[in-house]
Amino acid sequence: MPLTREQITDALVKIVGTDQVVTEEAVLKESSIDRFRRFEELHGVFTQPLPVAVVYVRNTNDVSAVLGFANEHCINIVPRTGHTATEGGLETVVENSVVLDGSSMNKIIKIDPYNMQATCQCGTSLQDLEDRLREAGYTTGHSPQSKPLAQLGGLVATRSIGQFSTLYGGIEDMVVGLEAVFPNGKITRIKNVPRRAAGPDIRHIIIGNEGALCFITEVTVKIFKYLPENNILLGYTLDNMKTGFEILREVMVEGYRPSVARLYDQEDGAYHFSHFAYNKCVLIFMAEGPKSIADATAEAIESIAGKHSECVKVDTRYLKTWFDHLNWDATDVARERAEIVETKNIGNTTEISANWDKINQIYETCIERIRNEIPDMTLVGGHSSHSYINGTNLYFVHYYNVVDCKPEEEIIKYHWPLKKIIVEETIKAGGSMCHHHGVGKHRTPWIRDEYGSSYYILETLKKAYDPEGIMNQGTIYPKR
Amino acid sequence: MNVLVCFKIVPDLDRLSIDDWMIDNCARVETRFVNKIINPYDESALELALKLSEQARGVGVAVTLQALTIAGGWANLALKKLRALGYQEAVRIESEEELSFDPEKVATLIATYIHNTNSIDLVMMGRQNSVGDNAKTPLLTAELLKWPCINQVTAVEIDTAGIYQVTSIADEGVITRKVKPPCLLAVGNAPFSYLRVPTLKAIKEQAAQPVKTLDTAELRLFSPFLPLISGVELLDLKIVNRKRAGTIIEGKNAAEKAGILYHSYLKGWLADL
Repeated sequence: MPLTREQITDALVKIVGTDQVVTEEAVLKESSIDRFRRFEELHGVFTQPLPVAVVYVRNTNDVSAVLGFANEHCINIVPRTGHTATEGGLETVVENSVVLDGSSMNKIIKIDPYNMQATCQCGTSLQDLEDRLREAGYTTGHSPQSKPLAQLGGLVATRSIGQFSTLYGGIEDMVVGLEAVFPNGKITRIKNVPRRAAGPDIRHIIIGNEGALCFITEVTVKIFKYLPENNILLGYTLDNMKTGFEILREVMVEGYRPSVARLYDQEDGAYHFSHFAYNKCVLIFMAEGPKSIADATAEAIESIAGKHSECVKVDTRYLKTWFDHLNWDATDVARERAEIVETKNIGNTTEISANWDKINQIYETCIERIRNEIPDMTLVGGHSSHSYINGTNLYFVHYYNVVDCKPEEEIIKYHWPLKKIIVEETIKAGGSMCHHHGVGKHRTPWIRDEYGSSYYILETLKKAYDPEGIMNQGTIYPKR
Repeated sequence: MNVLVCFKIVPDLDRLSIDDWMIDNCARVETRFVNKIINPYDESALELALKLSEQARGVGVAVTLQALTIAGGWANLALKKLRALGYQEAVRIESEEELSFDPEKVATLIATYIHNTNSIDLVMMGRQNSVGDNAKTPLLTAELLKWPCINQVTAVEIDTAGIYQVTSIADEGVITRKVKPPCLLAVGNAPFSYLRVPTLKAIKEQAAQPVKTLDTAELRLFSPFLPLISGVELLDLKIVNRKRAGTIIEGKNAAEKAGILYHSYLKGWLADL
């Protein structure tokens, strides 16, 4: 016999105390969704089952006790920290879910400059950690757009990536150790060492689990020397994406590692760079690190770009205002919300990755199909922002006017069909449908196609670690 | 009814970091490397006009919308975007001149265009610009045209008789007035006035259509307001030292406050002149 909402609330209060359990309707409503359903939210429409409560855990033992209780009574748990997810991963799709919020666990436990690592609780704001590190001359090297808002637990849980990733890597390259709690209440710690070869790397069961396997309570990341005085920003305009991809590839294949390596198409570029690049693609690099390396990297990039006659160098002063506004804070979010309400124009993104030989084909096919098949589009473009030796990512940006439909129909009429085009074309070409936002709940229809025969491994993880299926149902794994 | 909305494209000063506020020896901020946007007050005027057009259609009144800017060819993109949004005509008065600190010249060019067109019933524009910030252009334009001008406008509608109902903000609150055309509305901090976004399809349809362009010199030849624009040249800008003590005059009403101002402060100074 399932517990009632009242029984669940009473039990949670007994476990963590009254102050930690919030049941106000307004809080429950905003906790039933993430940014994927913000159009509905902005119009006061909430279509997902409201959770029973939001539980603000204070320590690892709280997490363990709540998970143990939920596991015993088959109560769906939605873990979260900064609440900045974009793919529906935080939606409470099951009746009587409990949102487990780790944002109060926000201590920076240790900054260890000798071993070049920092340990934080899951609710530590990346901005706070980065500010503390920079005061001491260090950096995490992690700078996602959400840096002012996102917290370490969520960043690790979604396999996030930052704008300087081509040098520093994604979060999976930064995490050296973790603490996580599994649905049966088991607290596990993976120690912080430079490398190990004692079997499979089990960090990767936790990194990117999106709350579908466990709750991350503590994270240890690498730190790096912060040397902004050596940064060299380079920018070029060019006529087409294909050339841009070739230049990115050459830079990577020749062995150079700029921190920023970005290629914008005309549409997306016009949004950011209309003051100097009308109807042009824009290529941006930043070389950083020790001066000799930064100088050599910049020199090599200039040489590679110089071989392409359509590449025209841009005065870096044009790029500085863009570089100074890479991150979104609460003010930007508030402005975006006001604009959506007034204009009924909303923008979203879908990020994928593919090898060099497929990326341009995916780009061209998706852009053409979206332009032809999706109504009321006001912008469709994209950029590559994270490159690797064997390929790159594409970050599709799509804006549309919501016309002749109810707020709750916006996703059905526009967002899902858009995502479907991008995901299906990417998988068809052999790419990955998710580059750094996670699967969430809205890409689960294609999760088996994404994995192919290796879905067996993913599926078995769920069976092994969450046999009762209480962890964030509908995220990564299709809803039961 | 023919509505003209005047707008200006300006640097997006919000994009400038504090250390980028480089003030040159003419007291100007370096803005060449910053994105450009439609002046926010003008953007509100453009959106209010679109809302007016929709409201007019609902009451059976036909309204045509024209957008006007004084700028170089780089402004054509914004003009085409406005046509994609429903402006029937988009006009550019060709000029690469820096006019931010020259409201007399701007007002004269706008008034000349309106005079020569001889069909405009209502003019709307933002009450001030982010650069220059003199808030004089709408007032000077109305003065040249000898039209009534309402400042700090936040909404406008039209009735079946062609009378405008104009809402504006004053110190004491909100005023709603009925105004017969012609008139000029200086749009202030209007709520719900983010400019809507045109679809790619509408933009594509407008892309090949040329923008109507007028030559400044030619316009001046036919200007009845010519004296205002001749011989005015911006030579220098100085930073005003605003660090001075102030006194707030208390009084029951404006008349009492004016009396205190005159007797306690101005009378003595005027006597010394």
